[in-house]
Amino acid sequence: MPLTLANTGEETMIRKVGGSPEMKKHLEDMGFVAGGNVTVVSTIGGNLIVNVKESRMAISREMAGKIMI
Amino acid sequence: MGKEIKIALAGNPNSGKTTLFNALTGSNQYVGNWPGVTVEKKEGKLKKHDDVIVEDLPGIYSLSPYTLEEVVSRNYLVTERPDAVLNIVDGTNLERNLYLTTQLTELGIPVVIAINMMDIVRKNGDQIHIQELSRELGCKVVEISALKGTGVQEAAEAAVAAAKSAKTIPMHTFSGPVEHAIAHIEEAELNGVPPEQQRWYAIKIFERDEKVLAQLNIPKQTLDHIELDIKAAEQELDDDAESIITNERYVYIATLMKGCYKKKNAGKMSPSDKIDKVVTNRWLALPIFAGIMFLVYYISVTTLGTVVTDWTNDTLFGEWIQPGVSGFLTNIGAAEWVNSLVVDGIIGGLAAPIGFAPQMAIVFLFLSILEDCGYMARVAFIMDRVFRKFGLSGKSFIPFLISSGCGVPGIMASRTIENEKDRRMTMMTTTFIPCGAKLPVIALIAGFLMGGAWWMAPMMYFSGIIVVILSCIILKKMKIFAGDPAPFVMELPQYHFPSIKGVLLHVWERVWAFLKKAGTILFLCCAAMWFLGSFGIQDGVFGLVDTESSFLAVIGGGIAWIFKPLGFGTWQAVASSLSGFVAKEGIVSTMGVLSGLGEVEEYAVSMHDQFAAFFPTSIAAVSFLLFNMFDSPCLAAISTMSREMGSRKFFWFAILFQNLLAYAVSLMVYQIGGLILGEIAFSAATAAAFLVLAAVLYLLLRRDPNKHPERLPERQAAYTR
Repeated sequence: MPLTLANTGEETMIRKVGGSPEMKKHLEDMGFVAGGNVTVVSTIGGNLIVNVKESRMAISREMAGKIMI
Repeated sequence: MGKEIKIALAGNPNSGKTTLFNALTGSNQYVGNWPGVTVEKKEGKLKKHDDVIVEDLPGIYSLSPYTLEEVVSRNYLVTERPDAVLNIVDGTNLERNLYLTTQLTELGIPVVIAINMMDIVRKNGDQIHIQELSRELGCKVVEISALKGTGVQEAAEAAVAAAKSAKTIPMHTFSGPVEHAIAHIEEAELNGVPPEQQRWYAIKIFERDEKVLAQLNIPKQTLDHIELDIKAAEQELDDDAESIITNERYVYIATLMKGCYKKKNAGKMSPSDKIDKVVTNRWLALPIFAGIMFLVYYISVTTLGTVVTDWTNDTLFGEWIQPGVSGFLTNIGAAEWVNSLVVDGIIGGLAAPIGFAPQMAIVFLFLSILEDCGYMARVAFIMDRVFRKFGLSGKSFIPFLISSGCGVPGIMASRTIENEKDRRMTMMTTTFIPCGAKLPVIALIAGFLMGGAWWMAPMMYFSGIIVVILSCIILKKMKIFAGDPAPFVMELPQYHFPSIKGVLLHVWERVWAFLKKAGTILFLCCAAMWFLGSFGIQDGVFGLVDTESSFLAVIGGGIAWIFKPLGFGTWQAVASSLSGFVAKEGIVSTMGVLSGLGEVEEYAVSMHDQFAAFFPTSIAAVSFLLFNMFDSPCLAAISTMSREMGSRKFFWFAILFQNLLAYAVSLMVYQIGGLILGEIAFSAATAAAFLVLAAVLYLLLRRDPNKHPERLPERQAAYTR
């Protein structure tokens, strides 16, 4: 399921990063990589703040929808 | 004398790179929190080493060629080949930061790693085994705290030493199939490349990096052969080549971390998270933000701001400087016109803008604190959903906010927006937000109209925001700005106490830039306006004349007809607006000079008659104010915009759009508003105003002709500037 549906505070594993090759690469460079862990810290209007590799990333609903957990 | 040594400073955004750069070179630059602040090239001489140059590269996550910052850094590292790379790594975020390190070590340039924020790492009780890390990565590792300045000099010395002797050989290897393909690539194509660079190129070829492929110009036959190897690896590992490399880097780092890093409180919420729980809470985020902004502007405009501005104007200028200079000039026997030029024209003209510099400093003080502590990045995130509704991403919000202080840094702040269309749209509209220099104009008109109603300034901010929103909706439906805003992804730095030095430096830089402007452009503007307003040709003779027959009256009168439909077709009002193109704060000084009042910094009842000559009706004064709020900004902002737009076409479009918009808004307000209030009668201009209103409504409400539901966000376009 996409990251947008993850429960807040629960650590889950990223299974796949989708999107256009550029978007995918950019997400991977920022730490969203298949096999890595991700935790949703908070949500606001569908946008998320997540903890990925110890950094806090703000990510829009559109982009979070491309990350499968 | 040896030759110059070049050291490149590379690291992730928010890793403290700019702070380290400042500590190393002692130069005074601004330290901010959102990515891309250091997008331009900065270099400085290393302290106590005249022959060592430190090059500050933009903050990047990777050496892939997708963002502007990455391209800049990569080109520098690959083509300029510095003598050493000082890689700054955030110790509290080791895993993600080391991802870039694995790429830097492949370049064949000596690398020294400086692990920053060691003070926080120790405070958290975490452990990093430096020797182990150094052995595994094959390069020297030093511990530093850029903010506290510990270990900084040692890091620099280590980089200098590495530049002279060491070589960094990448210690990490990829999985079998990848290494196999890379070996083939090196063998097939890279014989001409220096041995230490072969691995970097081989990996990039494996990733099918377009820029490297174009640069190397590989014969088709070899390329096909290489492609077979890549395909084989892709098939075996069931992923595309680029992702294989990315994933294997992270896997390598994960194993590295096991041996070198011990985290004490794994999985616990950090203090930063706890703050975010409240500050970015879905219900509380907007009210908290509104509260903070209200407080910032309440303090800087109303309470504290008024005190300092009044002191500067009334005491410093009114009681000390002006009478002092006037007395001095009379004593040395200067001519009366010299006295008039210096005291009324120049000092009087400069008093208003300089008087408001302290107020501006307070606004910037608050904004810098918000930036530096990490809140500003959250604001972009909070506002993203709201801004998306009218076609901008949350990143546009920061320029808008800064523009409330001054449009020049506001326009510069739009650099962090990746999408070019969004960036240009932000630059075009950001100066609609009333900047500090427009405040005296607002105050003057507010005083003239209703004895200085306090709500006039908030009203203008509000209408500024409305105009920004409506412009964005209209622009977004035009072909040149069409397309969804880039999807939002942004790192949120940990909250921390702002560094006092950094904040004060930042405030000083901006206020100083403003004072320099006041001292040069405004000074000339005042003198020119005084000259044009005092001299003229009366009865065929050039000389000092009454203002009514001055050059300014002639010029203003000549183009006044353009502004007639807006209600302020008097030459004084037109001349004041003209000076607004030089600097908005010049409007008030010009109005003061033209009304013969000299220094005017705030409205007094006694001035009513003089200003009544400017504006026949009160709605005309409102129209005048609106025109000056929304027309093209001052010279400084216009030239900044021209530089940042990077396109003549868009620049002139922006100028045209801003002035047409200002004209249209004033026309509608004056004609339609005047009609409703019964201040003016129906005329051809009123009909024109209704037509304009209809046109605006059409542009606003029409269906977006560029909207295709199946269209994907144009991310590619976002990164080609």
